[in-house]
Amino acid sequence: MNRTNEKAVETLFFLSAFFSALLTIAIFGFMLALGLPLFAEGRFFAIITEPWAPHLGHFGISPMIVGTLAISSLSMLFAFPLCLGFAILISVVSRGKIRWLLRKTVEMMTGIPTVIYGFVGIFLLVRLVREFFDAGSGMCVLSASLMLSLMVSPTMILFFCDSFERVPSSYGKAVLAMGGTEIQRFLYVTLPNSWPGIVIGFTLSLGRAMGDTLIALMIAGNAVQTPGSLVDSARTLTSHIALVFAADYESLEFKAIFACGIFLYLFTTLLVITARLLGHRGERWAR
Amino acid sequence: MKRFLELAVPIFSWLCGIILLGAVLSVVGYLFVHGWKSLSLSLIFGTTPPLDALLMKRHVFNGLFPAVIGTFSLVVLAVCLAVPVGMASGIYLAEYAGAGTKAILNLFFDIMAGLPSIVIGLFGFSAAVFLNRHFSGNIHPCLLISSIALAFLVLPYIIRTTQMALEGLPLSARMTGLSLGASRLQNIVHVLLPQSLAGVVSGVILAIGRCAEDTAVIMLTGVVASTGIPRSLLSHYEALPFYIYYISSQYTDSEELATGYGAAIILLFICLILFLLAFVIKKRVSYLALYRA
Amino acid sequence: MEKTIKIRTENLAFSYNGRTILRNTSIAFAENEISAIVGPSGSGKSTFLMTLNRLWETIPHCTLQGVVEMQCNGRFHDIYQKHYPVTQLRRQVGMVFQIPNPLPMSIYKNVAFPLQLKGGVTKETVRGRVMECLQKVRLWDEVHDRLDSPALDLSGGQQQRLCIARALILQPKVLLLDEPTSALDHTTAKAIEQLLLELKQSCTILLVSHYLDQVTRIADTIIELQNGSLIRAGADHD
Repeated sequence: MNRTNEKAVETLFFLSAFFSALLTIAIFGFMLALGLPLFAEGRFFAIITEPWAPHLGHFGISPMIVGTLAISSLSMLFAFPLCLGFAILISVVSRGKIRWLLRKTVEMMTGIPTVIYGFVGIFLLVRLVREFFDAGSGMCVLSASLMLSLMVSPTMILFFCDSFERVPSSYGKAVLAMGGTEIQRFLYVTLPNSWPGIVIGFTLSLGRAMGDTLIALMIAGNAVQTPGSLVDSARTLTSHIALVFAADYESLEFKAIFACGIFLYLFTTLLVITARLLGHRGERWAR
Repeated sequence: MKRFLELAVPIFSWLCGIILLGAVLSVVGYLFVHGWKSLSLSLIFGTTPPLDALLMKRHVFNGLFPAVIGTFSLVVLAVCLAVPVGMASGIYLAEYAGAGTKAILNLFFDIMAGLPSIVIGLFGFSAAVFLNRHFSGNIHPCLLISSIALAFLVLPYIIRTTQMALEGLPLSARMTGLSLGASRLQNIVHVLLPQSLAGVVSGVILAIGRCAEDTAVIMLTGVVASTGIPRSLLSHYEALPFYIYYISSQYTDSEELATGYGAAIILLFICLILFLLAFVIKKRVSYLALYRA
Repeated sequence: MEKTIKIRTENLAFSYNGRTILRNTSIAFAENEISAIVGPSGSGKSTFLMTLNRLWETIPHCTLQGVVEMQCNGRFHDIYQKHYPVTQLRRQVGMVFQIPNPLPMSIYKNVAFPLQLKGGVTKETVRGRVMECLQKVRLWDEVHDRLDSPALDLSGGQQQRLCIARALILQPKVLLLDEPTSALDHTTAKAIEQLLLELKQSCTILLVSHYLDQVTRIADTIIELQNGSLIRAGADHD
């Protein structure tokens, strides 16, 4: 392959990368452009403060913002300790065949489609919650959070395991050489040194939880209200988009979808940047 | 206090393991218990003879076959679009980009990877509307638009796995090829890529799984509950995950619900088989690339 | 007798991550001779070799100053000038690393690799050259019946001989060897030394070595580095 051919191929690589990067910006740009009518007449704060009542001309999405924050935070509250524990189980407590089996099982779990969690959630979890609390339909914040925490767990567990493994083994060997146990090595060497990785894993999983559509759509109830308790029905920004999508395209109601999209974009970008900043600090520490 | 912690941690970790595994087992188990009865050829092909359906001689009206074909077409199209662009970008990042450019591009791709799938779907829809307005009135949400949107969804994963696979190679691997007189591109193609193929391929398989299971993107870009096998790239289509969602709220009797369970089991099977495939292909591909005489 | 110079460096300075590795080194290497580079650990010997085939350019945070020139048909060329064909340079300047680095391919493919990268040779030519090189490094008898088996299955000593064969297949004018026999047993090491002595008629050999007896045995000139500076350069029998 002569020089000109090589140069052509290398230019192709360059163009692919920049096209892909441009896409990220284009996504935001399109939503901004299409949601503009809603913002145009200085209604920006109205979006956040008003209730959602399209027939009255109110397009506030604050109930949905609260719904998103509530459900995703609650799911992380459930998931974080469980995943940390499971990761400890895989990386520290178990050995040999069991360790391999556990890890492979978690890896397989990452492949379970989200819609299945939602589907089983409707018929199994919702019924259980309804019977246990004896209130409402069972389609509520709690049900959605529980299922959501199950969905984000496998990826978070693997992330934590990788963080543990990234701690240089020479640190830990010193503890073992002093007669320490694996648990001690984990508690006093591995855990303190992998903390940045753990926080990053948490942040990224929170982003995934915020961005989920189907579980919230299927089992959170979808009532347009700010949830007051765990068994209240709620709606997230993501399910709001899916539900309002059926409306007339030209209406302002529809344009509100783009406002939801913008918020979601900004939330997740903020989390990514946070993870990035933590990551860099983590790298410096590891050196 | 320390003693207590050291004793409590293993117990706690086992507890977490049992809880999580128990939860997942209940989900999957519940699915099987309620759905295995509906698993049969008629679930997929309805009242049409399977052979006729497969050879496209007759339409399937009350089976999952159109949804299966729809999902399959989506995956193939999306992956064919995403893999070349993704690998090329990943190669650029790992081998050519300077430190500053790399940092900025990585940030963009991380952002894209973190976007909710419904936002990507929204973008796909907006793009379709834009094209409809400014180019041709024939363009509306369809198989092609969905595939392109799905390609956007998985693009950051492929870029990332390609980049990490290449960057994971030790410096000596890089230097060996160059010291033997290879040009940069030759080094990438003949030395680095074959050695990082395992990582790249597993990234592709991950992408395939993601495309097969996604519902949010396709909901906004052209999937419908019932339309048969997609007639062309610009037509509506069915898909398994959407069917499952649709049936969960629109079922009229227990038989219809049972088909939902059946569809869920089929989708689960597809995703798990893909996972096993990734495991097997990883080893096979590396062997073929490097040791074939 | 006036010796023809093959490579010479002038005020060569090299730093990595801000730390100076080589300082103002000006050395000339005679053609068709074995020059040994010796010195304590960390004196910059391996780094020096890499400045001669520009391989340090693959490592980030390195800077180089000074001139490195190679003689071709009586004329000296600055190998760091703009647009100098680096790949061609590396084909004419072969390198053998301290730790054997066979590619994860078959034995045959490993040795044939540089030739196939260059292109323009028939399969028969490749086959012939592979056999020739494997014979030169005394590896042919051990592997001729399993050329398609993975190179990584060979023992350390065999792998190193394989790497030498691979470096020879393009018939380089200069051969850079970084402690090539440190992983080899005594007999194999002697065989390699014998090979180098045979090669020097067609090739200029630069050898980094820790083994003073080896150096005394085969080197025509000894270059001594310490802390990145040249201490002494002289003929073997000084």
